[in-house]
Amino acid sequence: MTGCRLLLLLLLAAPGMAPQVAYAQRGDPVYIEDRLNQLQQSITMLTGQIEQLQYRNQQLQQQMEKMQADYEYRLDQLEGKGGKGGPRPTPSGPSGGPQTSFAPPPAGPTPGPTPGGNGEQLYNEAFKKLQDGDYAGAERGFKSFLASNPRHPLAGNAQYWLGETFYARRDYPSAMTAFAEGYKTYKSSAKGPDNLLKLGVTLAQMGRKQDACAMFAKFSQDYPRATDLQRRRVDQERQKNGCG
Amino acid sequence: MRLIKALSAVAALAFLAACSSEQQAAATSGTSTTVAPGSVADFTQNVGDRVYFDTDMSSIRADGRQTLDRQAEWLKKYTNYPVTVAGHCDERGTREYNLALGERRANAARQYLIAQGIPASRIKTTSYGKENPDPPGSDEQAWALNRRAVTELQ
Amino acid sequence: MMLPRRSTLLGGVTLAAIGATIGVTPPARAQLTIDMTRPSFEPVPIAIVDFAGDRVGADIANVVRNDLQGSGLFRSISPGSFIQRDVDANAPPRFQDWRSIGAAGLVVGSVQQVGGNIKVDFRLWDVVVGQQATGLSFTSQPANWRRLAHIIADAIYKRVTGEDGYFDTRVAYVSETGSRSSRVKRIAIMDQDGANNRYITDGRTLALTPRFSPTLQEIVYMAYGEDRGPPRVYLQNVDSARRELLGNFPGMSFAPRFSPDGTKVVMSISADGATNIYEMDIRGRGTRRLTSSPAIDTSPCFSPDGTQIVFNSDRGGAQQLYVMGAGGGGERRISFGDGRYATPVWSPRGDFIAFTKISGSTFGIGVMRPDGGGERMLTSGFLVEGPTWAPNGRVLMFFTQGRGGPVGLQQVDITGRFQRSVPTPTEASDPAWSPLIPQ
Repeated sequence: MTGCRLLLLLLLAAPGMAPQVAYAQRGDPVYIEDRLNQLQQSITMLTGQIEQLQYRNQQLQQQMEKMQADYEYRLDQLEGKGGKGGPRPTPSGPSGGPQTSFAPPPAGPTPGPTPGGNGEQLYNEAFKKLQDGDYAGAERGFKSFLASNPRHPLAGNAQYWLGETFYARRDYPSAMTAFAEGYKTYKSSAKGPDNLLKLGVTLAQMGRKQDACAMFAKFSQDYPRATDLQRRRVDQERQKNGCG
Repeated sequence: MRLIKALSAVAALAFLAACSSEQQAAATSGTSTTVAPGSVADFTQNVGDRVYFDTDMSSIRADGRQTLDRQAEWLKKYTNYPVTVAGHCDERGTREYNLALGERRANAARQYLIAQGIPASRIKTTSYGKENPDPPGSDEQAWALNRRAVTELQ
Repeated sequence: MMLPRRSTLLGGVTLAAIGATIGVTPPARAQLTIDMTRPSFEPVPIAIVDFAGDRVGADIANVVRNDLQGSGLFRSISPGSFIQRDVDANAPPRFQDWRSIGAAGLVVGSVQQVGGNIKVDFRLWDVVVGQQATGLSFTSQPANWRRLAHIIADAIYKRVTGEDGYFDTRVAYVSETGSRSSRVKRIAIMDQDGANNRYITDGRTLALTPRFSPTLQEIVYMAYGEDRGPPRVYLQNVDSARRELLGNFPGMSFAPRFSPDGTKVVMSISADGATNIYEMDIRGRGTRRLTSSPAIDTSPCFSPDGTQIVFNSDRGGAQQLYVMGAGGGGERRISFGDGRYATPVWSPRGDFIAFTKISGSTFGIGVMRPDGGGERMLTSGFLVEGPTWAPNGRVLMFFTQGRGGPVGLQQVDITGRFQRSVPTPTEASDPAWSPLIPQ
């Protein structure tokens, strides 16, 4: 919106842009009316273009975050840190809404769950729903997984993705609760750092910058061995929210 | 697709222009003598009570300016009529949006008349959206005639 | 196993569950259930026997057949093919007779005169497993027989699909009569199936865009005065016909919608070529401006939880959909496809927003998620416009018109698979589906 206002000022400040109009006409009410209409049309056009650009920008950002997550996962695989980690978002996955975000990256060294266990199946089904953009379904899925498998190796992951189902639907209060729960209960799990980071991001979304900064400050204390990518994300978020 | 639409709109307008100039010629030569100057009939027949708009637009076209100039002249001469400008749209939009678009068209005509010296207090606006087609029809020609602002004397 | 009196309706209906009378306990139910969300399914074949005991019994069965068949989820088996003619409303049927004509479900019922009232019992038998699936008993004034039939159809729909029904509802719409150039448009209300039609405005001036209050006691709509002035918004009590002007603004006011709690109305008000959205408190009549753009902001609609409003605006050139907080502010565009988007309506479940979309020379009805993702078109045509949701959020009604043809109502389910026209006494446009009628 401030962008629009700036453009309006620019437009108003540029009467020389129509040099063909004789000076004598400047005071003519019809001329003024015409100029106003033209300005309004320009603003409308610019508004539309800004909206489109914002949308494209969001899409790109989302795509980048997914790709980043994918790289991270692949790197982990190569380094042999966590072969059997939880499922990962893929860059080609079905697109969510304009503002859905799967950041920060998943995986990390996740201990492999019991293969073929019913719990793992529940988890995978819920995750599939998340990838399909069925957030309500994914929420139910992760909740039922957690209810029946609170000590499963994937429980920390499930708690984190449960938070993401809310975050993607912009239900920040529920996302906050879920991430906080994940940080508290599964602090030492592979998803502990992600839960904490996303808790901070969520608080920032809710306008609680101070709390958000406090969370980011905890990060290096609690997770001295976090990945570079995670640390970079925290630094970015600290900067973005003007944390001291 | 858009080009074809634009072309057909141009064709329709050319056709309309031919039509309406004939009609106007007929009106001025045939009936102007029987119409009392300063009457409602004088206004609608000899001055022209309506201006037309392009699809989705509310800016006054060159042909509309001429009509509105004549309307302003006439209204300055016969000051006893308050007027309402009624905006209309073709049927190719949604009902509620068209109500607002009709209002925007009526307002554009009103502002033009005000700029030509008619007191703002004399001109009200209303809109009928796509509810009162004149002529009723579902082709490009009817739609072009329905995108209009009509100055009604009261 | 009589439940306590659950509620009263109109003349006082009592409702009670009829317990299963037989102790057969075969495994799970089979083909008498349907999952509407599956990509494809066959309509459930169902046999509905004329209710016994009173002449109105056949009429009740007809309404139930019509409701279920019209949903697209059921196929009503023609009574001519029934084998068991002597089915007793209170005893198990000969399941084999019904299986052999392909029925998955069988509906039987009876009507009794009790004092000045009628008592209506019905049972839905799961023919496949040979067991009662559901059963209810009602008592009401005889005049309410159609509502009883709709309530029975809703109970069957719910038992079979797992979704709430939508048959015991009304539709407000614009009745259109007369020629194109001198059209009479007045607000009318009818039952969802076209019965009990009545007019709310007299047709002397154009009246458009009716919407129900959450209690169905009132409607808001837009109408012109007799003075050639701009149209205004009216609030009218449906039963008493008492009507009030909602705000006397210098410009035109239109596109009214109730908030989900019924305490507020949002509407568009025009001034100097710009149209913005305002909120009015119905009791105190205070108004608050929610948008302020030089563009056209109209067709507002609350989210079912009342926290957000979706509307359409041409602030970016063409009409697009935007969502903002219910108190205004935080506006963000959600539609980014090709074409113009209009008349957004939030599903009563909150999961979708339905809209009209104009692409080139074609109009369509579609749905998208509230975040703008997952756009899906359900139907299209020369003119299709103004979707409205059934209270279960699974069916939409809208209006449609062929080039130069009559205008009428249609309904389509959320998958777009099943579409049909809705009967109306006159030509009709601008439907607004009511919530379930309070019982």
